[in-house]
Amino acid sequence: MSKRLKTILIWVGLIAVFFVFFSLQHGREPLGFESFETFLKNVDEDLVTSIRVHNNEITVHLVDEMPSYKTLGAVTDEITQLVSDNGGIVEWGEESHPFRTWLIIALPVLFVLLFIWYFAKRVNSTQSGIFSLGKSRARLVSNDSAITFDDVAGCDEAKEQLGDMIDFLVQPKRWTKAGARLPRGILLDGPPGCGKTLLARAVAGETKAKFYTVSASEFVELFVGVGAARVRDMFEIAAKNTPAVIFIDELDAVGRRRGSGIGAGHDEREQTLNQILVSLDGFERTDTLVVIAATNRSDILDPALMRPGRFDRHITVPPLSREARCHALEIHTRNKSLADEVSLQNLAELTDGMTGAQIESVTNEASLLAVRRARQANDTSAIIRREDLLKALEPVLAAGQSFDQLDTVLIDSMAQLARPKGRAVARITLENSSEIVGEVVWADGTFIKIHNPTDATDVIVAKQRIHSIEALPGTEMADGGHVPGQSTARETSGLA
Amino acid sequence: MLTENWFLERILFWIPLLLSLTVHEWAHAWSAYRLGDPTAEREGRLTLNPLAHMDPIGTLLVPLLAPFGWAKPVPINIGLFHSKVGMRTGVMLVAAAGPVSNICIALLSIAILVGWAFLCGSVELIPVSVYSLLNTAIWLNVLLAVFNMIPIPPLDGSRIVDALMPDRLRGIWDAFRGLGPIALAAVVVGLALGGSQWLWWPIQTVQLAVEELLQLVTR
Repeated sequence: MSKRLKTILIWVGLIAVFFVFFSLQHGREPLGFESFETFLKNVDEDLVTSIRVHNNEITVHLVDEMPSYKTLGAVTDEITQLVSDNGGIVEWGEESHPFRTWLIIALPVLFVLLFIWYFAKRVNSTQSGIFSLGKSRARLVSNDSAITFDDVAGCDEAKEQLGDMIDFLVQPKRWTKAGARLPRGILLDGPPGCGKTLLARAVAGETKAKFYTVSASEFVELFVGVGAARVRDMFEIAAKNTPAVIFIDELDAVGRRRGSGIGAGHDEREQTLNQILVSLDGFERTDTLVVIAATNRSDILDPALMRPGRFDRHITVPPLSREARCHALEIHTRNKSLADEVSLQNLAELTDGMTGAQIESVTNEASLLAVRRARQANDTSAIIRREDLLKALEPVLAAGQSFDQLDTVLIDSMAQLARPKGRAVARITLENSSEIVGEVVWADGTFIKIHNPTDATDVIVAKQRIHSIEALPGTEMADGGHVPGQSTARETSGLA
Repeated sequence: MLTENWFLERILFWIPLLLSLTVHEWAHAWSAYRLGDPTAEREGRLTLNPLAHMDPIGTLLVPLLAPFGWAKPVPINIGLFHSKVGMRTGVMLVAAAGPVSNICIALLSIAILVGWAFLCGSVELIPVSVYSLLNTAIWLNVLLAVFNMIPIPPLDGSRIVDALMPDRLRGIWDAFRGLGPIALAAVVVGLALGGSQWLWWPIQTVQLAVEELLQLVTR
């Protein structure tokens, strides 16, 4: 109901109430008084339709809308006989107005209720209202500007896995008929800014499902039990509005391993976590409700969260590959005008290790620079040139020069190359200038394991000892292509 | 006290009062908004919805006990008025908008009443309830306009006087403003105890004029 309509309804309602009450009051205008003789005369003339006798007071109603009146006197049996013989009605006792009496009792009560409601609303509207404490803080994101998978660069593996979920939300019958139990909890794991949130929104956008987003930290409040109440409330709301996607961001805020940490001051967090677990188990197999959680600390999550039936689908959202970065650049420059000289391919190389969010910020910065230049030149159209993009990249590249940053960047890049499908061949130069050449078997935050096929030896190198790393021909990229020439995925330390 | 008639009368007074106060406060909010100050609009006061302007005590409780009431004051931020209007003029216009709106309602009610009587040819043919509503609206709004123009804080009249006050009298005025609530209480008590002809005089004048008009059009 629109606000305007509500206002009009209130006005009309109030004026209607005025008229109703006016007629009530008007109907109670005191009746005229006539003498007893007039009454007797009227009875003789057969004008009386009804009389009401209360003690010695008589209310007389006459025919033909002649005014009713009251009179005083003793009513004898003869008179009542005469009245009823002439077709009049004789009533005894005080007249009762059930409706009016009821109204007079109900209305003050209504007023008091209105009064209380008004104050309750005021308390509620201040954010700390005690009534809203157990209410879920999940926000319903509108589907108007729906994000689809086209807007998400890279993350092909994640997209593929999420594709099942989308189909489940769109055509749940196909899956339930086949007796399949689809994972209802998906855990997106990956470094910050890799598009976990974007992926989750894309799922909602693709399915046209309701998308509820909440940060896990919003569950936790000072009072024990509030978080659990909020979880319950959120699941209840979502279950009423299926198909729905609940997105819990930063799950590690409540999903930390239970019983860990110092002291026992985690009751609230643990209760919240328990409630999430129970709620995940709780909904029916046919409910088209999917919970997506995101974290970048999957290592500290409670094992019970990963149990089948809960967040059993674990999708790693890796940092962007070169193609994905190129794609991301395309997406973010879609509504910007680029000079012909700009090669996104080339730029994708320069943005190595950058997340989608960073790429977005770079393109935005570049367009700001372009606008600034256009304004100085009094040009109407701001076209982004290569120099703008490079200038925008500068601070990011400078940040990448620090050693720690380089570590993560190169390790992650190698991991990216090694993991999804193919193999990665790398030449690693250590701090002491010695070189190791071989296939990357695995890489994690601390170590890289290199397999040397020529003498069949495995070496594990600590990342801190690595000075530079180079991908060699023979490396299969995520899409199956080979690294052309010498070194496309080359990383060199700024310390060199 | 708590008889049926008493309650009915209070309700019949309360509804026109609520609607008049709503328009009064809305006029403040609207004029402030038009002069460049969106404070009231952000607070959700730029609406004719009575719920937005209701003061739980002044609009719900007091009018049911006495023929008197008030609504929530509309907040304004004088710093946000358009520069071409100026703060003093802005405050004056916004303060005047309330009483002016009440005069407008009174005039509109008179117009409806007289127009209806003219079309019917006789006052007796107007439904009594409509006549009563319009009549209440007329005297109530004249009363509200006159009462609000009394230059005692926090009434609207004081703001106009405040804006017009020359600088050399400002010291005295500010001292008086500090006494505002007490002075207002004194005035209200004084009016209730017998000075009410001061408030009734404009109402009677208007009602006499309306009767003249009605006789004129139905002749």
